[in-house]
Amino acid sequence: VSPFPAAVRRAMLLRTFVVQGSWNYRTLIGTGLAFVLAPALRHLYRDDPPALRAAVARHAELFNAHPYLAGVAAGAVARLEADGTPPETIARFKNAVRGSLGSLGDRVVWLMWRPACAVLMLSLVLVGAPWWAAVAAFLLVYNALHLWMRVRGLEMGLAEGLGVARAIREAPFEPLAERAGNAGAFLAGFAGVLALGWGGEAYRGLLLVVGPLALAAGILLGPRIRWVAVLALLGVMVAGLVAGNP
Amino acid sequence: MVPDVGTLALLALLGGLLSLDATSVGQVMVSRPLVAAGLAGLVAGNPEGGIVVGVLLEALHLAVLPVGAARYPEAGPAAVAAAGAYAGASGSNVALLASVLFMLGWGWLGGRTVEWLRRTNAIWSVPPEGPVEPAVVERLHLRAIGVDLARGAAVTLAGLLVLGVLLETLGWIPFREPLTRPALALSAAAAVASSLRLFGRRRLPLFVAGAAAGAVVLWLR
Repeated sequence: VSPFPAAVRRAMLLRTFVVQGSWNYRTLIGTGLAFVLAPALRHLYRDDPPALRAAVARHAELFNAHPYLAGVAAGAVARLEADGTPPETIARFKNAVRGSLGSLGDRVVWLMWRPACAVLMLSLVLVGAPWWAAVAAFLLVYNALHLWMRVRGLEMGLAEGLGVARAIREAPFEPLAERAGNAGAFLAGFAGVLALGWGGEAYRGLLLVVGPLALAAGILLGPRIRWVAVLALLGVMVAGLVAGNP
Repeated sequence: MVPDVGTLALLALLGGLLSLDATSVGQVMVSRPLVAAGLAGLVAGNPEGGIVVGVLLEALHLAVLPVGAARYPEAGPAAVAAAGAYAGASGSNVALLASVLFMLGWGWLGGRTVEWLRRTNAIWSVPPEGPVEPAVVERLHLRAIGVDLARGAAVTLAGLLVLGVLLETLGWIPFREPLTRPALALSAAAAVASSLRLFGRRRLPLFVAGAAAGAVVLWLR
């Protein structure tokens, strides 16, 4: 049974969507975590204003997590506060989960899920689907995991308290990231070739020869290919201007 | 081209709202370049142009990772500015090339303003030491979101004006553009392929299988 009424849990969930609103280089999302926890702390310390102010100050200190998993920490901290856990124990817990909630989210969402969903959207547009359908598919698929992580993460934190680390380990994040990576790699090859087709019928021969080289360069250089592309496009721009003004 | 005042205001508001999506609010990914540029094209009256700009920008932005405090370009406002200004360029390839290049530079500049905001937040959005009322934390937090909205709108508006003037100027200069479209296609293809680095090079066989499927689709067209 949750120590918090539904209205408090709902307010916390909604606030997790803006947990990064005051992201800063001093406390990272510390102010944001206190913002998410405020409804729970108000409920717990409604008869003790000095304890409320002290609790808010404790939770506005340095903290960081992946935004979609910040609710896990917020839920667990709220549960620990409700259980009367000493502040030192809660501080140690926050320090312990900070790194793992950040790296898990980065690995699963930023590194795999988001690029896989984005390349799906790109593939759909390149294959000829209407823009709105590709965008709708992207937003639905991407946010299915996103919203599940936010909602389930907060529930898990509120239910498990200190045991939330075990619950996170048992969640199927790793197999999901593995499958997203497989789908993303396939779709990247698919969209890469379709992007070449966008170059125009008149240049089919050129693209047939240079296209595979461009794909290979992308694979070899990784994100650095952006700079190569910028230089190449600047070169085309200058050459077009020079040739147009003999 | 510089849009009319009403469209400029709407696009600036759109850019501001989408800039919130990147970090401060939601992160539901409506700030992805293909989504943002498509919406900007709709607002500016040239949805097709917005989609073309969006496809190229999405490809070039695929491998950008917003991990921790890393420096990265901001896509949403720059994509809105690029698609909004390109909307009036009547399908010119040189305007498309200039818009894509501009977006890459403006996205970098937008990223620097995000860093400025984070430094400012460290001063203005962290509550003072010692016991503090929850209402104080809430006020500081919401004010930071408001500043981010204004920052995103300002970046978008400035981008629309600068790129609009640039495209109008380019419209007067003769330009030979036979290689523009294939160059954009090659850049987009290379950038999409670079995302394999994120998924892991051990998945190269899957990438090759996808490329073969793409070649079949192209051949059937």
